[in-house]
Amino acid sequence: MDMPAYYEFCCRVKIISGHDVLERIPATLAELTARRPMIVTDKGVVGAGLINIVVNAIGNGVDIGAIADDVPPDSDLRIVNSLARLYREKGCDSLLAIGGGSVMDTAKGINIIVSEEADDLMRFSGANALKRALRPLIAIPTTAGTGSEVTLVAVIKDHEKHLKMAFISNFLLPNACVVDSRMTLTLPPAATAATGMDALSHAVEAYTCLAKNPLSDAHALAATRLISENLLKVTLNPGDKEGRLCMASAATLAGIAFGNSMVGMVHTLGHSVGSVCGVPHGACMAILLPYGLEYNMHKNGHLTAELLFPMAGAPVYAATPKEERAQTVIALIRRMNQELYEATGGRHARFFKEALDRDGREMVPKERLPDIAETALRDGSISYNPEDLDYDDFLMVMEAAWEGRPLDTGLIRKG
Amino acid sequence: MYLPERYEFFCPVKINSGNRALEHVPFELDALNARKPLVVAGKDVGERGLVGVIIDAFKDSGLAIGVYDGVPSAPDLKLIRELFNIYRDRGHDALIAIGGGSAADTAKVLNIAVSGKPEDIEGCAGENLIKKPLKPLIIVPTTAGTGYEVSKYAFFAGRDYASHFLMPNLAVIDPRMTIPEDAVTTAAAALFALTHAAEAYTCPGKNPLADAYAYTAIQLIMANLVNVIGDQRDKNGRLSLANAHAMAGCAFSNVALGVAHKLGKVMGDLCHLPQGLCMGMLLPRVLEREMSEGGYHIADLLLPLAGFDTYASTAADMKARRAVEIIHDLLKDLSAANGGAISRIWKDIQVSEDTLQDIAQRAGVNEASFDIDGCAKILREAREGR
Amino acid sequence: MKNFREVAAGKKSLKKDYVAVMMWFMGRAIQAAAAVDMAAKKEFAGMPDGFTFALSVMPNGPHMIIGKDQRGFVRYKGWDPDGNKIDLDMKIKNIEAALLLFTFQESTTLATARNRLVVDGDVAHACAVMRILDIVEVYLLPKIIAKLAVKRYSGWSFRRKYLGRVLVYVRSIFSF
Repeated sequence: MDMPAYYEFCCRVKIISGHDVLERIPATLAELTARRPMIVTDKGVVGAGLINIVVNAIGNGVDIGAIADDVPPDSDLRIVNSLARLYREKGCDSLLAIGGGSVMDTAKGINIIVSEEADDLMRFSGANALKRALRPLIAIPTTAGTGSEVTLVAVIKDHEKHLKMAFISNFLLPNACVVDSRMTLTLPPAATAATGMDALSHAVEAYTCLAKNPLSDAHALAATRLISENLLKVTLNPGDKEGRLCMASAATLAGIAFGNSMVGMVHTLGHSVGSVCGVPHGACMAILLPYGLEYNMHKNGHLTAELLFPMAGAPVYAATPKEERAQTVIALIRRMNQELYEATGGRHARFFKEALDRDGREMVPKERLPDIAETALRDGSISYNPEDLDYDDFLMVMEAAWEGRPLDTGLIRKG
Repeated sequence: MYLPERYEFFCPVKINSGNRALEHVPFELDALNARKPLVVAGKDVGERGLVGVIIDAFKDSGLAIGVYDGVPSAPDLKLIRELFNIYRDRGHDALIAIGGGSAADTAKVLNIAVSGKPEDIEGCAGENLIKKPLKPLIIVPTTAGTGYEVSKYAFFAGRDYASHFLMPNLAVIDPRMTIPEDAVTTAAAALFALTHAAEAYTCPGKNPLADAYAYTAIQLIMANLVNVIGDQRDKNGRLSLANAHAMAGCAFSNVALGVAHKLGKVMGDLCHLPQGLCMGMLLPRVLEREMSEGGYHIADLLLPLAGFDTYASTAADMKARRAVEIIHDLLKDLSAANGGAISRIWKDIQVSEDTLQDIAQRAGVNEASFDIDGCAKILREAREGR
Repeated sequence: MKNFREVAAGKKSLKKDYVAVMMWFMGRAIQAAAAVDMAAKKEFAGMPDGFTFALSVMPNGPHMIIGKDQRGFVRYKGWDPDGNKIDLDMKIKNIEAALLLFTFQESTTLATARNRLVVDGDVAHACAVMRILDIVEVYLLPKIIAKLAVKRYSGWSFRRKYLGRVLVYVRSIFSF
């Protein structure tokens, strides 16, 4: 096992996980001396009836100051500012963020404004601009995917100025994250499949990209194993409580892994497809993951090969010759996508050509691929990818991922 | 893969490890909103030039630091009062402890005092009696560190402390600080950590997050311990061991203490032996007994102990047995290394039947398969090298 | 108290001087590359006029400041952050980390992976600056070092590599 010449690892979030742990929220708030939390969430969470579950579990002992339930999937500075105003008006003293990535980032943004009594959130962008603990923040993930409940980054856009600013600070980590299987029980099969593959992409990229370290590896391996064993199961059988808890734990483990080791080109391209064409993040990750492993094969194939163990289990690992393991991992991920495609009645896209929106329209028209490649050049995650990519390389990968054919290895320019 | 119905995990420790790790401390202090740390170290650390490394790391940082390098092996409350006065009068706002043992314990207990008032030291002794986060604490482990220094535990002037708030905000593992030690010290520290990691990984209250720390710790110890004992110049090996020890400390702060830990600790104290050597010797025997009681996580232990390939090629019903054998083999290798220095200590252990009963009694183990007789039996087996 | 002493903040003047000189040269080379290299030109074209970025060492320098003026020309703007409004600050956490970078023991990629660099500003622009640094390193460094410094030592044409290198060197030294 390689010890990196230098690495850092940290996850200060208290993790509370189980089938009935929402009931621990009042005690956790009390430990943080918080009395009047504001709930931050989105319409999807409300529509699925999850707010009621949380509110009931919290009981009467806690005075909920406000419920902000309309965070959009693409939140921005304007929303952060208006919710911070609400927080102040209602005299809240803490935050409960219930949802996925956008809700978490929004809650982190609100927390900066209300804790620092700031008017200009962007003054705190960059690394370590925060100097002291913020108000108590408890994260309750509902997607078993993003992992943003355990990361110290918040990305907040300013749609008016076309800026996308990153905020990085230990103080942005939630104080606690409450992972309860009830929060994901009603997630529909297609969303289950996509968010599960999102978590897998975190674990796999954390394990195979440049900032890996022994501790993030251990988190990534455990996450990969849990996802491989449970994702198809819960997609087929959404009410499987045990499977749901395994997936939720896996997402948290994968979040800790990539929060410390970062991710590579799968995310670079995925972010770009998301921002250019609006394809849900998890769906992009599912399609792109095998391509990222193929593209980087000459640099990190030995690491991809090791993933066969958590993905397929000991017997398959032992029975597969060493030099075939990496290819087998890629084939297994493609097979997972195929199985999820079948399990969701075709709603889980296997390649971009078949990604459709609600009205059945193609989401990624072929003529947008150049835009996507161009956008990818502006995404920070590329720094951590083992091999370099320029515009032509991004486009080449996107063309293959659009049609759903494996990469032509002859086209990969090896450094 | 095993997942408990319910678990909680908390580890506030950031790990910075490797080349020039110490030079990053000023940046980390800034992130913790601190700018004048008080460095606390043992006498030996100062004598071996390690304090100089820290001072050098702070050059160009613009920060002035206080350095106290006189912590004795058995510090008392008078020392805490003196350091408290320095901390307060000179405007310090963070603590840095170098090395494990009494320096780390002193820093942890001093942190209780400087985060409140000196009298708190008495009120906070015990389990979970600290109610709020303390001042920033950074631990810089040396090779002799066992991982206890980054754990939630502290022992000071006859009092035991246990609280997550005692854990450091940061553990800085720098190759310049993980200097060579003699074989006995190195082995004792590593076996102390291995015992914690293995017991965390196999205990009934295990959870996947504590497992990640334990798993990594075990892997690193297995990959490096024998090499380092044989060749103290193995710089990367020493760095890896120091990492493993810190991780083991994080893991065992999140599970209940194991039987090998409890027995080994009392045995070490009563027989004046390094606790780590006692724990290491007891570990495979404790696991064997748990195995016969159906402890099925022991089979999983084979994975970090031996790696994917050995795990995959070992028959399912043989995995647990193989795991225990590997620990026995490790102990044999350690005994043989360095001209048998460790083996002589093990051979010379003169534990009378009375002492043995005494250890079993005092260890306070109270589990179905480990009553006092059960514990005594394990100690007897270990004594006789069976 | 016995065994206690207070240690005032020291200095690492020699190391800082070395890094300052390297940054000075790098800054002028970036200005030169912006004039002669097509890829570098394209990266700068993506930045708004008046945009200023810096590479700096925490906590107090040295700095390397590059700005694009209102007419779109790229200028090395020296080492003094005072009087410059910096839109993007790429900060190396300490002088030792900077030394690893400028003695080519660690590439910008590795420094990023090892969390030794922090970016304060828009991420998209930071990506462009990273690519510009890569281009300049390939120009300035002999192949054997540049191959370690960048992920993919690109298959540049003879003309770009050698003519470009001469031009970048000449312009860096004579500053035009």
